[in-house]
Amino acid sequence: MKKTVFGIAAALSLALAGTAVAQGYPNKPVTMIVPFAAGGPTDIIARIVGDHMSKTLGQQIVIENVAGAGGTTGITRAMTAAPDGYTIAMGHLGTFSAAPATYPGLKYDPLNGIQPIGLAGGTPILIVARKNLEANDLKSFVAAIKATPDKFNEAHAGLGSVSWTTCTLLKGQLGVPKLNAVAYRGTGPALNDLVSGQIDFMCDQIVSVAEQIKAGTIKAFAVASVQRSPALPDVPTTTEAGLPEYQIEAWNGIAGPKGMPKEAVDKLVDALNKALNDEATKKRLLDLGAVIPTAADRTPDGFGAVIKRDAAKLDPALKNAPR
Amino acid sequence: MSLNKIERSQGLRIRSTQDLGAGVFMIVLAGLALVLARDLPLGSLRQIGPGMLPTSFAVFCGILGLFLVITSLRFDGEQLSGWSWRGVIFVLGAAIVFGLTIRGFSIGPISVPSLGLLVSGPLVMLISGLAADDMKWKELIIFSVAMSTACILLFKYALSLPIPLAPWLLGI
Amino acid sequence: MDMFSNLALGFGVALSFQNLALCFVGCLVGTLIGVLPGVGPIATISILLPITFGLDPTGALIMLAGIYYGAQYGGSTTAILVNIPGEATAVVTTLDGHQMAKQGRAGIALGTAAIGSFVAGCFATVVIAALGAPLTKMALLFGPAEYFSLMVMGLCFAVVLARGSILKAFCMIMLGLLLSTVGTDLETGQERLTFGIPALADGIDFSVLAMGIFGFAEVLRNLEAPEARDVVRAKIGRLLPGWSDIKQSVMPCLRGTFIGGTLGILPGNGAVLGPFASYTVEKKIAKDPSRFGKGAIEGVAGPESANNAGAQTAFIPLLTLGIPPNAVMALMVGAMTIHGIIPGPQVMTRNPELFWGMIASMWIGNLMLLIINLPLVGLWVKLLQVPYRLMFPAILIFCCIGIYSVNNQPLDVAFTAMFGLFGYLLIKLGFEPAPLLLGFVLGKLMEEKLRQALIISRGSFVTFLERPISAGLLLVAVAVLVIALLPSMSKKRDEVFTE
Repeated sequence: MKKTVFGIAAALSLALAGTAVAQGYPNKPVTMIVPFAAGGPTDIIARIVGDHMSKTLGQQIVIENVAGAGGTTGITRAMTAAPDGYTIAMGHLGTFSAAPATYPGLKYDPLNGIQPIGLAGGTPILIVARKNLEANDLKSFVAAIKATPDKFNEAHAGLGSVSWTTCTLLKGQLGVPKLNAVAYRGTGPALNDLVSGQIDFMCDQIVSVAEQIKAGTIKAFAVASVQRSPALPDVPTTTEAGLPEYQIEAWNGIAGPKGMPKEAVDKLVDALNKALNDEATKKRLLDLGAVIPTAADRTPDGFGAVIKRDAAKLDPALKNAPR
Repeated sequence: MSLNKIERSQGLRIRSTQDLGAGVFMIVLAGLALVLARDLPLGSLRQIGPGMLPTSFAVFCGILGLFLVITSLRFDGEQLSGWSWRGVIFVLGAAIVFGLTIRGFSIGPISVPSLGLLVSGPLVMLISGLAADDMKWKELIIFSVAMSTACILLFKYALSLPIPLAPWLLGI
Repeated sequence: MDMFSNLALGFGVALSFQNLALCFVGCLVGTLIGVLPGVGPIATISILLPITFGLDPTGALIMLAGIYYGAQYGGSTTAILVNIPGEATAVVTTLDGHQMAKQGRAGIALGTAAIGSFVAGCFATVVIAALGAPLTKMALLFGPAEYFSLMVMGLCFAVVLARGSILKAFCMIMLGLLLSTVGTDLETGQERLTFGIPALADGIDFSVLAMGIFGFAEVLRNLEAPEARDVVRAKIGRLLPGWSDIKQSVMPCLRGTFIGGTLGILPGNGAVLGPFASYTVEKKIAKDPSRFGKGAIEGVAGPESANNAGAQTAFIPLLTLGIPPNAVMALMVGAMTIHGIIPGPQVMTRNPELFWGMIASMWIGNLMLLIINLPLVGLWVKLLQVPYRLMFPAILIFCCIGIYSVNNQPLDVAFTAMFGLFGYLLIKLGFEPAPLLLGFVLGKLMEEKLRQALIISRGSFVTFLERPISAGLLLVAVAVLVIALLPSMSKKRDEVFTE
């Protein structure tokens, strides 16, 4: 039904804006749905990348923030929109890889039912703890957790959030899935209670915690990526610290509804790559502690593989998570 | 004063239809919430479940509603006043029409394309305007067009909000 | 004194021509958007955030701060003029502010709000400059248990807000709490009381609820009573507060500044309690509490000052700890981050010109607000003279666009209409919507903090009494409740018997 509506609308707009259509894709502003409120990490990456993509496309990329249900509301809207290339979305690890296991009634299929465009940026995940916790490195922390799980409190920003997803993976890998989890509305309040020592540890994106680590108000055990982050060169990787299986990154990526015209996909991929090759854009992303995706991951196939890889990795831990 | 006391001793009867209505309203809402929350686990003190607070709030609502009912039988108070459907239908109807047409919708066999602010704007003002008993057609139409234009200029152009303007005509 | 050299640095930054202009434009645009019914500071900032992206970081933040104050004041303007609060803190202003407008004293209410806000802003700026760093510790003293007790105390304030029956006020608070539990459970992801509607999965949006039960319901009430709505334009008194008005507002304003400023420092959303607490205090110490709710100027001066003081001290946790205490501050973090400044405990030492420039611009922003708004008072008051048959369709279109823009969700508009019907029903049943909104705002936080505190304490309620701050707050809560209940209970009986 929705398709016919859009069909009529599209036909009308074609008829009325006939001259513009001749120029091919894109002949009007492209809406990029950000499934979170303005000002959040995903929104910031979308705005930085979208800004440069608009220049390449020759049409404005309009950011539309449609928040709700851990980002799945906005992604659902984008994935059920007309696949004409004018509605795309900037999602993240949660909305594409974790969502099928987290939200049983999900209205889109991120593994097979979407058109991936490319990865736009990644932010490493850190395991951080209150500054006066006895353990001083990952090994002793892991040992202490395994020995006395009931002594620890983990903080996260609500079911479906990046901190919840990544910490659930960690707890699954450590074999303590039922560890006391304290839910907060957003990472800000969770971080506040970590700084004041009310809770013991959390997993979060580098951009939220880097300044606190530098200031010494909390301590970091490890960064869950292959390489150390230039923003925090002193923090070891999980491999170095003795927990090599814990590898996870909170990436952001662009996708659209399945069935988009090839021309639109190609132009969007091209615009994304030009944006990520632009020095000024790159610098803005690096300043956030973000990782610039490899050339292979900036393609539809590469991004599609990343979604599937992380979905497979997260699936068992998320399904076993206590609800 | 003494009259009231005498009245009070003369047994129960409805002395305030407003309070009685309010009490029944609270009890009905509490009942609805209890039904909706019946499947949610209450949890334990150590790990409060999702159902604990909705259920307890609903119970409190019900008790307070009961108090209101009792009050309405014991003390004199306000009576229920008339209900004006004209306002409800046109004002709230206008808002619903805005919600349905701004991005389009489809319910069953009925579907409306996204009309955008260009159409939805004047529509809201015209429909809601009908709620006033001193409505004047000419004035309302001119005002609606002027206000909608101002809104489009302000929200769509000056502030560049991502609100559809007229997708069926302009494609944006 | 370090503070003076720092402030000098700050004013040096803020007084540059460009930054002054940005501050002015921010305040102006913020006021204009914030004054639209239904559009509160959060909506205004998220709507206007993108226009600051092209500026340098200091300029962008100064402009955003201007937008914030402007929106805050603009929200109070709508609360006074058309009885629609744009955010939780403006709810209190509707109580007496709108009554004043109905009595033809809209100008005085607006003027008092502007002057009160300015005074509060001045004090708060000094407090931030002088005590910002040490006060930070206060934010860290508050864990989930303290927070829960604070919310309980806030709910007790709500009882005092009641204009009529205390029993009905309790009903509304409880109903507000119940409504706040609608939506997906934070811990388990289970949907609660949503009827399976996806749009309710994230709970009821504050603006949707407030607009419905205040805005739409008010329109319906006015349409019903043509005489009542004409009172507003029948007689317009003096435009600005006179000497006696000012004399009456000085003490409420100072008390409000203290209360709002203190609560604003707390993380979470302490600032939201400021106006409620201030109103409670004013109503309790007034010689004639019955004037409240009928256009008492102290009921505008106190809460408005508290509101603005809290709005400013809410910057303390952000600037000194790098942790946003509420949604508005979270947007500020977004704004800083997009400019490459990641807020943290070191912003003060690493970006002193930004830190002190912002503080200086707070004061300048407050001054600008006064300059912009006092002349506008006349204009706003004139708007009230627009015939109601034209005014309400205009209010309605602004409401619709405003609500739609908050989440870009068309369904939100339809929900607002449903809450309008709900609000109309509440009016008919003799309920006051203000306590409902407070219960709603505090309910979410309360549940979250209760559950957090109990998980941390492993299920022991003693934690709320063991911790001294928490116990103290609960004690205040009990005291407020007793003070509120005793006289009103006897009053209720008097009212009933003298009828």
